[in-house]
Amino acid sequence: MNSSATSGEVSRPLASFTVELDVYSGPYEWLLALILKEEVEIFEVPLREIVDLYLNSRPEGGPDALERDTEFVGSAASLVLLKSRTLFPALESEEPDEEPALSPEQLADRLTAYLKVKRGSEYLRERFDANSGFHASAHALRPRPGRLRIDAARLQHAARRTFSRPIEPPTAHLGPITLTIQELAAWIRSSLVRGPLSYEDLVRDMDRLHAAVTFAASLSLANEGHLTLSQSDPLGPLTFLPAV
Amino acid sequence: MIPRPAHLIESVLLVSARPIEPGDLASATGLPTREVQDALYELETRYSPESSGIILRNVAGGYQLATNPACAASVERFRQELRPTPLSNAAHEVLSCALYLGPLTRAAVSAARGVNSDAVVRGLLERGLLAEAGSDKGIPGSPALLAVTDEFLASAGAASREDFPSLETLVAPEELDRLRQRLNEAREREAPPAPDGV
Repeated sequence: MNSSATSGEVSRPLASFTVELDVYSGPYEWLLALILKEEVEIFEVPLREIVDLYLNSRPEGGPDALERDTEFVGSAASLVLLKSRTLFPALESEEPDEEPALSPEQLADRLTAYLKVKRGSEYLRERFDANSGFHASAHALRPRPGRLRIDAARLQHAARRTFSRPIEPPTAHLGPITLTIQELAAWIRSSLVRGPLSYEDLVRDMDRLHAAVTFAASLSLANEGHLTLSQSDPLGPLTFLPAV
Repeated sequence: MIPRPAHLIESVLLVSARPIEPGDLASATGLPTREVQDALYELETRYSPESSGIILRNVAGGYQLATNPACAASVERFRQELRPTPLSNAAHEVLSCALYLGPLTRAAVSAARGVNSDAVVRGLLERGLLAEAGSDKGIPGSPALLAVTDEFLASAGAASREDFPSLETLVAPEELDRLRQRLNEAREREAPPAPDGV
């Protein structure tokens, strides 16, 4: 049997692959571990950017090229699945510790509160943008006494998290998915030739899983610049527009 | 030469990167509060955006000397540095939660946004826009409460939290009505059909 693992050493083809993202910078393997431990929000991780980084840093050839590529494709596919699944929390309804279902009134209240927070965030963005051009006089004072405190318990907790082993990824949720994001993306792109598309019309006859994967495919296409997503209001109609 | 009050205030402001409260200015200069206020008024006139490349800002409960935003491009070219990466939408939402609903726990932030926000909170803590301000003793484990910081107020150009409009004024009643209407329509679409004979 051929194996690149030596005695007492585990083969890690992606050990040298590092990523530079807005939310994280460092080894790719650690990013996977942080995502699985929910230390990094999967929503914040641009998967396409990771693929680009891998393709750009991928050394040509080498004895373990196939093993490395296989490892990356496998982990990237898991991330896509995880992200798609997270986009549709209703799929987790079999979890025993699921949050109790909200009544219509509670849902309305929650969405109303969120809409206010959302509008508040848009207002804050304007204020931050308007005030981004100020540069304070450049002499930074030393921190006030007592500002720099190290809590021993928090330091211990951080060390434990840093040096603990990553948990195995859960696979119980992996069901028979018969349609890929690539297939759906190709279908959306071909449909866009005829003009703008309504997401609601597109998924009208689909089950929830396929609707979620369709949404994930549209996000990928938007990220790649093949289409533009348009939604004027929260919960309003979502329209796919051909890229200009 | 005996320095005038405005000169004293001006020199203290120059060496501080963070806003200084009038009381601290009075302590540093030994001037009475009234003279500090008069000096600040004089400096505000001298360092107005129309007449100077340096302006006096009233932010985060204090005063700060800063460059005129109209000159920002030249300053940044000279310092050969870019502005900090703009905050993401998620980060603005978390700050909105802390400003309008806070102080609140990480779990409360996640509940308000409907998505786990721990990573975003961590980033904002590192940037100094959020800080832990006490803990919620009523919850098991006494989780830390998050609040916006003076750095946040300075970045938003606000003298205090009262400088922000209330949440109610940011959302038009018609928009809330439209949201509820859409929810009702969605509920009706998902409601099972009535059995025969009912």
